[in-house]
Amino acid sequence: MGNATLSSLIKMVNQIADNNVHVGTTDDAANAVASHITRFWARPMKQQINEYLNEGGEELNEIARQAVTQLQK
Amino acid sequence: MLQHFDPNKDYGTPARVSENLVTLNIDGVDVTVPEGTSVLRAAAEANINIPKLCASDNLEAFGSCRICAVEIEGRRGTPASCTTPAENGMSVTTQNNKLAKLRRNIMELYISDHPLDCLTCPSNGNCELQDVAGAVGLREVRYGFEGENHLDAKKDESNPYFTFDPSKCIVCSRCVRACEEVQGTFALTIDGRGFDSKVAAGQDDGFLASDCVSCGACVQACPTSTLMENSVIERGQPEHSVVTTCAYCGVGCSFKAEMKGTEVIRMVPFKDGEANRGHSCVKGRFAFGYATHNDRVTEPMIRDSIDQPWKKVSWEEAFSFAAGRIKDIQAKYGRESVGGITSSRCTNEETYLVQKLIRAAFGNNNTDTCARVCHSPTGYGLKTTLGESAGTQTFDSVMKADLVMVIGANPTAAHPVFGSRLKRRVREGAGLIIADPRTTELVKSPHIVADHHLKLRPGTNVAFINAMAHVVITEGLEDKDFIANRCDNTAYNKWREFISEERHAPEQTEDITGIPAAEIRSAARLFAAAPNAAIFYGLGVTEHSQGSSMVMGIANLALATGNIGREGVGVNPLRGQNNVQGSCDMGSFPHELPGYQHVADDAIRGRFEASWGVTLDNEPGLRIPNMFNSAIDGTFRGMYCQGEDIAQSDPNTNHVDQALRSLDCLIVQDIFLNETAKYAHVFLPGTSFLEKDGTFTNAERRINRVRQVMPPMPGMADWEVTMALSKALGYEMNYSHPSEIMDEIATLAPTFKGVSYERLEELGSIQWPCNDAAPEGTPTMHIENFPIGLGNFAITEYVATEERSNRKFPLLLTTGRILSQYNVGAQTRRTPNQAWHDEDVLDLHISDAEMRGINDGDWVGISSRAGDTVMRARITDKVQPGVVYTTFHHPGSGANVVTTDNSDWATNCPEYKVTAVQVVKVNSPSNWQQNYQNFDDQQQDFLKQGRESISQ
Ligand code: SF4
Ligand code: SF4
Ligand code: SF4
Ligand code: FES
Repeated sequence: MGNATLSSLIKMVNQIADNNVHVGTTDDAANAVASHITRFWARPMKQQINEYLNEGGEELNEIARQAVTQLQK
Repeated sequence: MLQHFDPNKDYGTPARVSENLVTLNIDGVDVTVPEGTSVLRAAAEANINIPKLCASDNLEAFGSCRICAVEIEGRRGTPASCTTPAENGMSVTTQNNKLAKLRRNIMELYISDHPLDCLTCPSNGNCELQDVAGAVGLREVRYGFEGENHLDAKKDESNPYFTFDPSKCIVCSRCVRACEEVQGTFALTIDGRGFDSKVAAGQDDGFLASDCVSCGACVQACPTSTLMENSVIERGQPEHSVVTTCAYCGVGCSFKAEMKGTEVIRMVPFKDGEANRGHSCVKGRFAFGYATHNDRVTEPMIRDSIDQPWKKVSWEEAFSFAAGRIKDIQAKYGRESVGGITSSRCTNEETYLVQKLIRAAFGNNNTDTCARVCHSPTGYGLKTTLGESAGTQTFDSVMKADLVMVIGANPTAAHPVFGSRLKRRVREGAGLIIADPRTTELVKSPHIVADHHLKLRPGTNVAFINAMAHVVITEGLEDKDFIANRCDNTAYNKWREFISEERHAPEQTEDITGIPAAEIRSAARLFAAAPNAAIFYGLGVTEHSQGSSMVMGIANLALATGNIGREGVGVNPLRGQNNVQGSCDMGSFPHELPGYQHVADDAIRGRFEASWGVTLDNEPGLRIPNMFNSAIDGTFRGMYCQGEDIAQSDPNTNHVDQALRSLDCLIVQDIFLNETAKYAHVFLPGTSFLEKDGTFTNAERRINRVRQVMPPMPGMADWEVTMALSKALGYEMNYSHPSEIMDEIATLAPTFKGVSYERLEELGSIQWPCNDAAPEGTPTMHIENFPIGLGNFAITEYVATEERSNRKFPLLLTTGRILSQYNVGAQTRRTPNQAWHDEDVLDLHISDAEMRGINDGDWVGISSRAGDTVMRARITDKVQPGVVYTTFHHPGSGANVVTTDNSDWATNCPEYKVTAVQVVKVNSPSNWQQNYQNFDDQQQDFLKQGRESISQ
């Protein structure tokens, strides 16, 4: 799988996180991001961001990382 | 609403609304009317038709011709019935010898000054002057027919759509009043006095050079042939008419298509149209010629690759070729490797079928729509806060607003009929706040001055709306009762704490937004103090990296000030295209089935599965930008695109070009070989709105009928084409008429439960939700409660866009539309509307121009991190220093080569409104433009070869 999707997904999830920082605690924010991804992202997109996290997920910001981790549960 | 009045009759003066009724006696008949109604209108309602010339029921009475004179018991003389209000107990005589003589004398004067070339006059058979002459029994003209015939008066033929022939003018001033009252442009005046008086456009500089916006209201108002459509002059009076709906903007104006056989002679705005009330703009009234333009492609075509010429084929071959390719792709790359795009220009029924084909025949949820790139944040933001993805009001509602705030919208250009209505309300005294980086017409124009122009920097909307809400809350201006009774208090308290933080104070945000703190404070106080404050917004709100946050911020402000749930208030998205609302309603988004029902909800999905007889995917599909990325990655390889020109309309053209070239099968259904079709393998000819049967849903949630006025040029209607394609893919659909599609929608989308073509015929139009609780529809939403119970305040933190000006790209580019062209211009560029805008130009402020040695009209290169293009510069003070602006109506100008792939965090709606750019003087087109030209030449040649090929 190429890079166009992955780089956009990283940007997207970080951006969703940035826009949810203030909804409450870090946990609240991560929940909001995780629920957003569950509701709006397509299956292959979810798979790709999961794989990315498993490979280290370096470019994910803190809330994004927590949210994606949560999605795997 | 049920029809009480005959929309084809002119009642002489406007209807009045009053709880007080008055009863008067006219020619022995008792008539009861609302207080304020004229005697002329009261009589007309009782079918007593007093002759009239200067009066018309869309204009305030003027009392100049005196043909409508009557006698009223106890009053002296013969007052004009159009200017005399009906009173209780009045006794009126409309016909007697004295009145007849008086009227004949007046007519005699008019006629003696009129060229009597009736038999060759374009109005012949449809002339009010003739009718009145007949009605008053004019038999002789004592002043002789040798009076001035003025036939030497010069015609003004500057406007491409209508002619002004002063020789026929009776100086009734209906045109002047239509331009002022209905349109609000004030382009016309009556020059001179008495017999020498005449109508003049501007400073007598002709219609085209004047401020005239070619709305045609004056042409419609003119009782003679002085102002006349060129199409009528050339082809004669129409012989029948069909009521249908404009296919341009989200106002959704109703029109009478006046026909001669299957040829449209003219479009006349329908008086009973509830969205437009008999008015229109230049696009809807005049720019319909594209429908029969030579560029129409009316036969199916296929080709193996985009480097080959097209080949004309039969419909069957086109379907089997397309279906074969899609099936091959899916066999090789999986079920999710294909998808499709529905169009906001197509009908609800067409859109519904395309998403159904994708979900049922492709077997995935990879469906999206062009609303992705305009109003997807509206859907997200309003659903989150108010519980429904739609605007809350009718357009009429603005007439009850005391204050209107327009944010990121330019209604006089993009939603002109609403723009005129709003201007009328402002002339009546409503306050006006404009939040826009540019100085739009609503900021200042004849008889309009906004109370505040909040000239914010592009990309700082959320900081601005938060500052407004901060003032409301910290100054105690909120509507405590509304909040306590109608809103979720936990969410409110959390939001209240958030918004009260000092960092949202206008003094703190001033440096971000560029709006002086005092101005925000004063605007917020004005907004909060208004008994009815309404917000209207456009793409300047949604097309940002925080589009969804901004929509929620707007809803927060409306909730906090209690401006929801009655007439005169509300949150009103001005939808770009005719059927943006409808395409979203119809389940075009990858996560929602029709009626905004989530695909992951088993019970809901189960109902669709039962009805459609297939298993549906329970995961959302790809959005347009995700499709493009996956195409570049090689995992997405086939696409069905109906009536949508993604190659021109979507941002970052180079990226879109790369994605489209990666597809193994692109099926385009359109009326022209548009930019996207140049990358296609299958071309399915589509139909224009004049050939369609179906419905559009406008920005007020109003479902209007679109009626076929001429047969589909390709021989098949679009819904039939989708059905046949689906069948070839192995999933059969069986409808014999679009009404059956609507019947199915009504069974599956709860908000459409009560909608059917029969009900639409009965009611004229229906605003959804229409169900058992609201069998006639819902003009105003959220009156008693919200679909989510209580209003929900959302936290809207301002997050600056990554797209910032810097040393390399020091200016901010923002894009928009103008009045005469429509979006990608595929339609309007093929009409005489080109007279007003035949190229996109770059607007820049004089200080930015001087710094770069740029003069008005120079070619300038515009570069961003996404790409470069070249346009001509226009120097203006309408944009602020540091901001440049352009339109995207012409493909060769490449506005979207420059825009980036930044997008809204929640919906991926592109950030068209903010791109950091540099502008320099150049003398040749950009590389992109040269490549574009070569590609276009090649594809036009392939099309030509296709047209000449023999159908197989
Ligand atoms: S066309 Fe419209 S804007 Fe132009 S003069 Fe007539 S009413 Fe005014
Ligand atoms: S142009 Fe037509 S509407 Fe205008 S004053 Fe003359 S006759 Fe009346
Ligand atoms: S473009 Fe919009 S305002 Fe103009 S006629 Fe059509 S629907 Fe009405
Ligand atoms: S119609 Fe009443 S004065 Fe002209």
